Amino acid sequence: MSLVDATRSVTRSRRLPPPLVFGLLGGILLVYFALPFVVFLGRTGSVPVVEALLETASRTAVRNSLLTAPAATAIATAFGVPLAYVLARETFPGKRLIEALVVLPLVVPPVVGGAMLLSVVGRFTPIGAAAARVGLPLTDSLLGVVLAQTFVAAPFVVITARAGFGAVDERLERASRSLGYGPIATFRRVSLPLASRAIVAGIVLTFARAIGEFGATMMVAYNPRTMPTRIWVDFIAGGIDAIVPLALALLAVTLVVVVTVQRFAGVPSVVDR
Amino acid sequence: MTLELDGLSHRYGSERALDDVSLALDDGELVALLGPSGCGKTTVVQAIAGHLDPTAGRVSLRGTDVTGVPPEDRNVGIVFQRPTLYPHMTVGENVAYGLKSGGLTPDRVSERVDRYLELVELADRRDASQQSLSGGETRRVELARALAPEPDVLLLDEPLSALDRGLRARLRDEIVRIQQRTGVTTLFVTHDQEDAMSVADRLVVLRDGAVVAAGAPRRLYESPPNRFVAAFLGRSNELSARVDGGDSPTVTIGGTELAADAVPSELVGGSRAAVHVRPGDLTIGPVQRSDDTLGDGGNPPDRSAASADGGRFGDRPGPIEMRGTVTHVRDVGRRYDVRVEVDSGEMVTVEQNRDGVCETDRVTVTAATNDLTVFSVSE
Repeated sequence: MSLVDATRSVTRSRRLPPPLVFGLLGGILLVYFALPFVVFLGRTGSVPVVEALLETASRTAVRNSLLTAPAATAIATAFGVPLAYVLARETFPGKRLIEALVVLPLVVPPVVGGAMLLSVVGRFTPIGAAAARVGLPLTDSLLGVVLAQTFVAAPFVVITARAGFGAVDERLERASRSLGYGPIATFRRVSLPLASRAIVAGIVLTFARAIGEFGATMMVAYNPRTMPTRIWVDFIAGGIDAIVPLALALLAVTLVVVVTVQRFAGVPSVVDR
Repeated sequence: MTLELDGLSHRYGSERALDDVSLALDDGELVALLGPSGCGKTTVVQAIAGHLDPTAGRVSLRGTDVTGVPPEDRNVGIVFQRPTLYPHMTVGENVAYGLKSGGLTPDRVSERVDRYLELVELADRRDASQQSLSGGETRRVELARALAPEPDVLLLDEPLSALDRGLRARLRDEIVRIQQRTGVTTLFVTHDQEDAMSVADRLVVLRDGAVVAAGAPRRLYESPPNRFVAAFLGRSNELSARVDGGDSPTVTIGGTELAADAVPSELVGGSRAAVHVRPGDLTIGPVQRSDDTLGDGGNPPDRSAASADGGRFGDRPGPIEMRGTVTHVRDVGRRYDVRVEVDSGEMVTVEQNRDGVCETDRVTVTAATNDLTVFSVSE
């Protein structure tokens, strides 16, 4: 046995099996995820959650969030899924640039994104002024909230849907064309159903991001308050305990939507197998 | 003509994929489009189906120019190399898919699905999911799906190459049977000469985007029109030949000098030529002790008896004998492939049914002149 072999066999026997190492490293992160949830939720006992949520300010915030986040998600989906399909299927000059543009809102800090949005739709910009004149102010309005949420959250649906379309073999579409279906019918009957899992995942992510959006919303529409902006205001005034009720509500809404959408989004059962 | 390609050319960017391809398929014909991978076969299929716009040329179906027509308006059935059944549909729904676009009543659709699933002998799998099918069954369902709308032309793009050998042969026969039953005009695209020869009425050989040969499989195999076809249709050995003119012209093949009249007359025209001979047409014999004279008779194997009298310049074409050294013997089961380096330095493969030679053995490789195919080399 050579010297190298000898040292190798010694270290091998001392080494922990890889699954255990990976499990330990992952476990530390999991504890770090779980701990805040547990401790934070532990405070709920000492706070009158229901009473706090029934206050007008809280009810308005919940209502505003439930109006704006689905709207932003719908807009992001309606415009994002077609964009995702084009990005997955076509090659054209400048495609890299467009792909970078799609990711940009993800990497720009939301507060900065909000400031940039303000520079386009702010009250004293041409667009903002024109909208305000016809009675649809784009700042400090629910519309403003939707704009901010869409800007920040839409990349999620574009990116996941694009990956979903990319995973659909193009030959399935070609076969459909040769079986008598035009491009739109093929998209509807083949590409869309086969990418539906990815698209639904993208919608869920977009919604979760939109309803929790704070940074850009704060810049564009600090009023009317959504759940996140209300939480900020409550926190400044009353500390952590003051925000427990709304935080719980936000958590609950997000969870319910995520579970519901994943359950009933018409994901074909054959694909699951 | 059911399908006609006229001067079809295509470029991907600056890369030429097809160069002036013309071919025509008669009604009910099964034609194999054969060529090595990357020769442009799939581009031809895509151009016929309408999945790409050729740079130049025309595609006609039943006499109508369809070059700019989108695939959905062409009535071309297509089966791809990789399975393309829809995973979100059952077997029956897959077959019905192409029928529902055609405005048939649900009853007619259902009846047609049954008929075509019966044709591929999968009638009992109508409600099965695509995932529960075996590889061969998947192919057959795809055939049924492509045939159900009763297309003018059926395109099979390497339909067998993803399957293992046994299944391959069975499905090949199945395709021929189904094609004969339905009488659909079929273009069978493959890189496998065995598949092509065993299914097709006619072969079209494609190389680097151009048609290099077309005709009946047997004719192309036995008298290939060029070196590429000779090498590509079945195994072949290529030997260079040198022609020396003069009073008594001689031809040297693989180190053996022959009188010009002992070899096919086509050879004598130029100064250089390439000679092809199938490995099965070569025989190996032992080298005579008197190693110095060529073809001095003695014990030539099998078919060379006619010239075994040592007459190098015999009256009639005799065999060609080449001395060489065995470099490798490969046992491939039903035969042995013996590689011999002949004294000219060229390698030949000889198919032999029995063992008996070993590596480094000195041997004589013999070929009858009428088994040689000669191509002039222009250089």
